[in-house]
Amino acid sequence: MLLHGRLSELCIFLQAMFVFACCFSDIESGPIATSGSVQPNGDRFKLEGRAIVPGVKTQDWISSARVTVEGEEYIGFMRTDGSFVVNDVPSGSYVVEVISPGYKFEAVRVDITSKGKMRARLVNFIKTSEVIRQPYPLQLRSSGPHTYFMKRETWGWTDFLMNPMVLMMVLPLLIIVLLPKVVNTNDPEMRKEMEQSMNMLNPNPELPDVSEFMTKLFSGSKSSSNKAVGGSKASGRPAVKRR
Amino acid sequence: MSKPTSLFVIFFSLFIMSEAVFEDQVGKFDWRQQYVGKTLFAHFDSHSQSSNKLFLATDKNIFASFNSRTGDLLWRHVDKVGPEGTIDILVLHGQDALMVVGGGRLLRSWDTNMGGLNWEAVLDTGSFQAACFVAIQDTVKHVAVLKKAAISLHYLTNGHQKWVENLPDSDTVQYQAVYSGGEVEVYVLGVVPNSHLTIIAYSLEDGEIIKQVTWSVEAPWLSSVESSCVVIGQGVLMCVDPATLALYTLPIQAEEAPQFNQILLQSLDLEVSLGFQPVLVSSQPHPARSPISEFFLQLGPDHHVLLQLNADGYTIAYVTPFFFFFTSFLFPLQACDINLFSADSGRRLLDTTVIFPLDLNGGKPFKLYVHAFLKKDDSVDYRVLVQTQDHALTFIQQPGRVVWTREEALADVVTMEMVDLPLTGTQAELEGEFGKKADGLFPMVLKRLSSQVILLQAWLAHLWKLFYEARKPHGQVKNEVTIETLSRDEFNLQKMMVMVTASGKLFGIDSKSGSILWKHYLENVQPNAVFKLIVQRTTAHFPHPPQCTLLIKDKDTGLASLHVFNPIFGRKSHIAPPALPRPILQSLLLPVIDQDYAKVLLLVDDQYKVTAFPSTKNVLQQLQEMASSIFFYLIRSDQGNLSGFRLRKDLSTERIWEVVLPTEVQKIVAVNGKRPNEHVHSQGRVMGDRSVLYKYLNPNLLAVVTESTDAHPERAFVGVFLVDGVTGRIIHEAVQRKARGPVHFVHSENWVVYEYWNTKSRRNEFSVLELFEGTELYNSTVFSSLDRPHLPQVLQQTYIFPSPITTMEATLTEKGITSRHLLVGLPSGAILSLPKMFLDPRRPEVVTEHSREENLIPYAPEMPIRTEWFINYNQTVARVKGIYTAPSGLESTCLVVAYGLDIYQTRVYPSKQFDVLKDDYDYVLISSVLFALFFATMISKRLAQVKLLNRAWR
Repeated sequence: MLLHGRLSELCIFLQAMFVFACCFSDIESGPIATSGSVQPNGDRFKLEGRAIVPGVKTQDWISSARVTVEGEEYIGFMRTDGSFVVNDVPSGSYVVEVISPGYKFEAVRVDITSKGKMRARLVNFIKTSEVIRQPYPLQLRSSGPHTYFMKRETWGWTDFLMNPMVLMMVLPLLIIVLLPKVVNTNDPEMRKEMEQSMNMLNPNPELPDVSEFMTKLFSGSKSSSNKAVGGSKASGRPAVKRR
Repeated sequence: MSKPTSLFVIFFSLFIMSEAVFEDQVGKFDWRQQYVGKTLFAHFDSHSQSSNKLFLATDKNIFASFNSRTGDLLWRHVDKVGPEGTIDILVLHGQDALMVVGGGRLLRSWDTNMGGLNWEAVLDTGSFQAACFVAIQDTVKHVAVLKKAAISLHYLTNGHQKWVENLPDSDTVQYQAVYSGGEVEVYVLGVVPNSHLTIIAYSLEDGEIIKQVTWSVEAPWLSSVESSCVVIGQGVLMCVDPATLALYTLPIQAEEAPQFNQILLQSLDLEVSLGFQPVLVSSQPHPARSPISEFFLQLGPDHHVLLQLNADGYTIAYVTPFFFFFTSFLFPLQACDINLFSADSGRRLLDTTVIFPLDLNGGKPFKLYVHAFLKKDDSVDYRVLVQTQDHALTFIQQPGRVVWTREEALADVVTMEMVDLPLTGTQAELEGEFGKKADGLFPMVLKRLSSQVILLQAWLAHLWKLFYEARKPHGQVKNEVTIETLSRDEFNLQKMMVMVTASGKLFGIDSKSGSILWKHYLENVQPNAVFKLIVQRTTAHFPHPPQCTLLIKDKDTGLASLHVFNPIFGRKSHIAPPALPRPILQSLLLPVIDQDYAKVLLLVDDQYKVTAFPSTKNVLQQLQEMASSIFFYLIRSDQGNLSGFRLRKDLSTERIWEVVLPTEVQKIVAVNGKRPNEHVHSQGRVMGDRSVLYKYLNPNLLAVVTESTDAHPERAFVGVFLVDGVTGRIIHEAVQRKARGPVHFVHSENWVVYEYWNTKSRRNEFSVLELFEGTELYNSTVFSSLDRPHLPQVLQQTYIFPSPITTMEATLTEKGITSRHLLVGLPSGAILSLPKMFLDPRRPEVVTEHSREENLIPYAPEMPIRTEWFINYNQTVARVKGIYTAPSGLESTCLVVAYGLDIYQTRVYPSKQFDVLKDDYDYVLISSVLFALFFATMISKRLAQVKLLNRAWR
């Protein structure tokens, strides 16, 4: 979504560089009488366009759709072929939107000069004077149905297993359970090797091991000491040594 | 830099989670009802025999199609509000429906099958008078539209204008009717009141006036063609003159100058009831053919005669063959009957009488739309659509069976309240246990045990009911909601919605199912009345019934009346409301209660005298004691005057402050206090450095919104004043330059959110004002407007909102712990739930450690609108006028009703459902995990035993 936005922004920027800068002065709305207008109603003009929902028949969506100009200031209805006309619009700048509960349409800003010249451009509320031309008569293409709903979180075994917490719990468990089985501790050679490796881990072999010291100090029985220090990693060693 | 963005993403996902509706929740706790308004024109689809479509055009500027078997809405087109969208006429021809809109502004043709527009044509200016189809030899090709000064002819296929002609002498002659007799001429009838009638014939081909047939006929008795004349038979104008009690006939298409032919009613042995204006009714079954020559003459409120015009056009007889006609005799009784008359004999067809009961709480019927058809065995059958004065539509079938009813008054809900449902007997008993005083250990234990037994009984009864219903076939299980079975549910999620409509009809609607439980039609309510609904006593005070009071005020005179009723049953209360002889300026509900637990309502009249309701001795005594601490304010928007008053002991008032906003510069558009039932849980906000920023929670604060009188985009402005309602002190003022209304705003807690139109940038903007006391609280125990020396710190921020809005409201919960959301009604009909977090004036432009710790979202100028935040997904509410929010028994849940043209009810969870298990809670998973663990321990125990044993043997 974010990426898409970025891309479209980039496109807008590129387009903006190529846009022909035409001198459209800021239009003041208000009745200005013109003689040679499109319609007999003096300074009222008509907005035309066409809306398309790809892959959907027009009769399935037009009865619930309508065209709004600047909120509900002017309203137009969809013709049976998906085209629309909004009559009686005075000159000014308007945001034209096709509203349908089922399908998404982009809004377009339409400027009408006092002489009845029309221009359509992208809506940009932040840079209001930026002009990125759109075709006029309007061609509005739906980008698909609205997404109103969120997906429920479904529960699956894979989700459960790939959970980092579960992975963190399961892997050490596997090591604890499986390693003693794989590595035969009764083999004297192996024992020697392990001892060596342990000694290598221990930076100072002369120093008495803390855990060993503690177990000697506190426990009388072997089994309880074994359990008490079971949590720490170094604990495995004294038990092995004792055997 | 990556850290804040990731944080932001997490935020975002959090919001999305908390907001959206899940697809499987559709219709679970929400419902929508669609309405169209008061019917102006109704037509049955006569295009094909099997069709069951009904087309309505209403006063709400809506053209809609219904399924006439079920009353369901098929499609609906909502036009602009106001005179520009009014439907002047609706005529049907085949599959096309033609409509003149906006006082003759537009001519539209609809495809009734698809619900789409065929074409739309702009008409010349001028007020609309009449329209009719023009046919040549049974094929309709044109439609003629008559305006005040012109007549135009349009092609039916594409709406193009064939010709338009100015009418001669249109400043003196009132042209009122247009008639086409299937020939090559179109006749326009105009009248100069009490002088003469003008008939002009236009050629169909080029619109030229055919010279020979433009006459003026002397008719000094005629004032209006519309009200007293009809066209019957082969172009005969039939008029009735109530003064001389005579019928006049005039052949329109005559070759030479015609004359009115007078037929006295006496000569026909007919008598008119005293004081009744005779009315003519005719019927034109097919637009291409001339109207039938039989017509009705109404002689009295319940007296009609069927008459027929003989072929010579001058005499009137009673009989002829071939068509059916209908009438109704409306008795002001409990039932109403409709009879079918045969035009053959003028006699009533025996088995065609329909008697249907009238709702006692509804209005009287005033219009019938009849759909007659031939059955397979060639007998006549018909269905009737009855429209009553309370805007309800009832569709009735032959033996008097009501097929469906639509309460179209609900298309214009003015105000509403939600009232808790009463407790059931068992619930009340359980509640009573906690209310009573403790009387020793042993009785308490006994009471507890007995209540537990009651609970068990209730549960067993419920189980039995479930079991019993499960055995029944599926169709019958549908349990009807009735008033008797209504009771409060566990979490108080189901409430009674009391809705007041502009027509004066009150409704009680069950918030869970949306079914109407009671209705009450208040007759004699003026169309411009304003309403205020006040809940004086809730259901909490058993055995006292709950009590609501509706203040009905005439907007012009200011005179008001009170309607006191029980909100659960809709019945009018026996308590007599006080007479209010003077116009009422203000009403206020005090927290003071009388001995019957009803809150006291004070009404201030235009002499600043106060009337209390209820006004018992107890109440008056309490009022005297409290008088010095009761303040109220009055707004005179026409004078730009805001003034505060205090109550005196003798129930008179004294003015203590006044604020004048000069009306030449700006006008007051709205004043809003806070909602009295709002709770604020936290007094302040903990900031990043662990200090507390205390909120300025002034319960007397008023937000006053003004708009400039100068509408020029450069000089227009919107002002927001925060005024203390007790002292009149202006706490803060904010002016938004180059802005204009309509301003929508919400005032709650310590903030005001308002929305306006920026005229310079042509966009909608939201602005938020938030008031803080600072890091220290002046008096933390109690708030007094009279003792607050320091002005609050005010923070403000403004955002762009990418859509116009129609209404705005904030969510409300029981204790105010849950975070707040703003519910924004958009013109598309969607209701957006916008987290208040986005409207926080402390949103930083540069993210710092502190702001991140405070969970502040970095400032972005444009507010997002996401369709996932639409609480009503595709169930759009057309023309949202108001959003009502009410707390439920669950802290996390807020009940929402959006009303406008439609009514939509749902629940929102602004901070997710933190106090209840989610509805997708996986019971299967949790129980299977529990069982698995249980068995695992069993097995491992056994294994361990075996192992121990083995070891012991070793």
